[in-house]
Amino acid sequence: MTAIVLRLYIAGKTATAERAIGNLRRLITEIEETGQRVDLEIVDILEQPQLAEDERILATPVVIKKLPEPLRRIAGDLSALDQVLIGLDLQVR
Amino acid sequence: MATKQNAAMSQPDGHDYTGASGTEAPVCATGIEGFDFIMHGGLPAACPTLLRGGPGTGKTVISLSFLCHGLDIGEPGVMVTFDESPQALIRHADALGLGLGEHVEAGRARILDMRPDREEMTSGESLELSAILARIGHALAQTGAQRLVIDAIDVLEGAFAGAEGSVESELRRVFGWIRERETSTLITIGEHGDFNRRHGIEDYIADCVIALKQEVTERTMIRLLRVVKRRGGGHGTNEFPYLISEEGIFVLPLTGSRLRPTPTREPISTGVAGLDGMLGQAGIYRGATAMYSGQSGTGKTTFAASFAQAACERGEDVLYLSFEEGAEELMQNQRSVGLDLQGCTENPAGAGKLVLEPMLAAETGWEEHLLRILRAVRQYRPSVVILDPLSALSHKIADANSKAMVLRLLSLLKVEGVTTVATELLSDISGGESPLDVSSAVDVWVKLRREERGDTLHRLLTVVKSRGMFTADYLNEYTLSDRGVATHGRPGKTKDGEQ
Repeated sequence: MTAIVLRLYIAGKTATAERAIGNLRRLITEIEETGQRVDLEIVDILEQPQLAEDERILATPVVIKKLPEPLRRIAGDLSALDQVLIGLDLQVR
Repeated sequence: MATKQNAAMSQPDGHDYTGASGTEAPVCATGIEGFDFIMHGGLPAACPTLLRGGPGTGKTVISLSFLCHGLDIGEPGVMVTFDESPQALIRHADALGLGLGEHVEAGRARILDMRPDREEMTSGESLELSAILARIGHALAQTGAQRLVIDAIDVLEGAFAGAEGSVESELRRVFGWIRERETSTLITIGEHGDFNRRHGIEDYIADCVIALKQEVTERTMIRLLRVVKRRGGGHGTNEFPYLISEEGIFVLPLTGSRLRPTPTREPISTGVAGLDGMLGQAGIYRGATAMYSGQSGTGKTTFAASFAQAACERGEDVLYLSFEEGAEELMQNQRSVGLDLQGCTENPAGAGKLVLEPMLAAETGWEEHLLRILRAVRQYRPSVVILDPLSALSHKIADANSKAMVLRLLSLLKVEGVTTVATELLSDISGGESPLDVSSAVDVWVKLRREERGDTLHRLLTVVKSRGMFTADYLNEYTLSDRGVATHGRPGKTKDGEQ
């Protein structure tokens, strides 16, 4: 089974960014409990602004599901986990 | 900065657009001549300017001109777009002849695509817009940009459903950051809602605020530009009408023009020998304004066309603005009285060129007419302009604007340094009275009339006034034939034998 590839973009270690990281990690644990593998990469766009340009990012934090296709993205502190699952088209069975 | 300021202030045509004070803050020219004039040289340098206006008011055209003028004079620039795609902007700019695509390819300009992704969802109420700042900052640093355009940033509001509260406070941070960049920045927003007030852009962020609007009066549409505020610098205070066309924005400071023409004493022929004779043998002074007023059938257009043809034959360029007849119709009608306007348009060697431009008086408002006429004059740079008939412009304006508009037009043409020849239709019941009543604005006034005596129609001309030159005090009878206008001197004297 191919891994789910997620990339979380943040702009500095702000409170909102920390919340998003915590929320996303919790969600990943839940997903991995169903036997799926998740690769998460966290990118700080303040360090790599060109990546923000390439991904046309306006608001952070934002998580982009690179794989499996189709590409999905959801912004915010990711506190509403149900919405995150819908937004990224992922399932926790 | 000093060289930049000079480049903006001393225009290639040598006019001083900045006023005598010389103490105003440094400016950043947009390259839009009339606009820079109103702005006393351009937008304030190193600070943000807000340009607001509804759809179709030309915000993007002004922004692109500002950006590309900078690129042309060696100032790299960044454009941030929240509404149109970068490709559309490049096409738009290239259609205006601004060559943005080239500058982007060469890396001198960058367009940042910040159109919100409508598919993107939001989870939670807190969002940060630091990414916008990081992207702009990155692009500014990479290009070494001196000019920044932020187009339609108000689109951002409402792009993140559920997080409106944090977007609002984040936007304030974005504007504060932009202000601290000390880059010459133009921010555009639509006129809808109270976006700029809520975010304090107008009050706290922008050093300069320009409002664009469209207005419909008497069923004609006019676009108006007004400088609402300008910190530490001058600006015109009126509403300035402007045009948008495939050539870009054309603004005319209808008031506040500081240019003065130099009067000349060089006479030029009217193309009718007998009329020249009534004006001290030589004709009218170059740069003067002449008006032929007459009832229908007195050959006003033929006098105007004779003037045009004589000017072309002397090697001068003529712009003939025809308000009633199409070009073909005019050339054909004048051919029947022996005038070859078509030949003049073909620009034979040694002769001046005639440009015939029909401008049908219907459909457009007077401001637009004024702007179109002046734009054509700037474009062709003729030495003679014919307005035939000028009265067609005023007929549709039944109000008091009519006279003011004609006076303004004539004085603007004088400022341009052209010789102006206008015709005016007098009705049969006018008793020879001029409905335009612009005698004070014309230097030479020729009246044409017809009289029926017995079974013959007589045509008579008089020089009512001619400033600063000899004026014949007699009536001169004339005829129109296939050899043009011929004068026969005082009626009842030279032609006695024939009666």
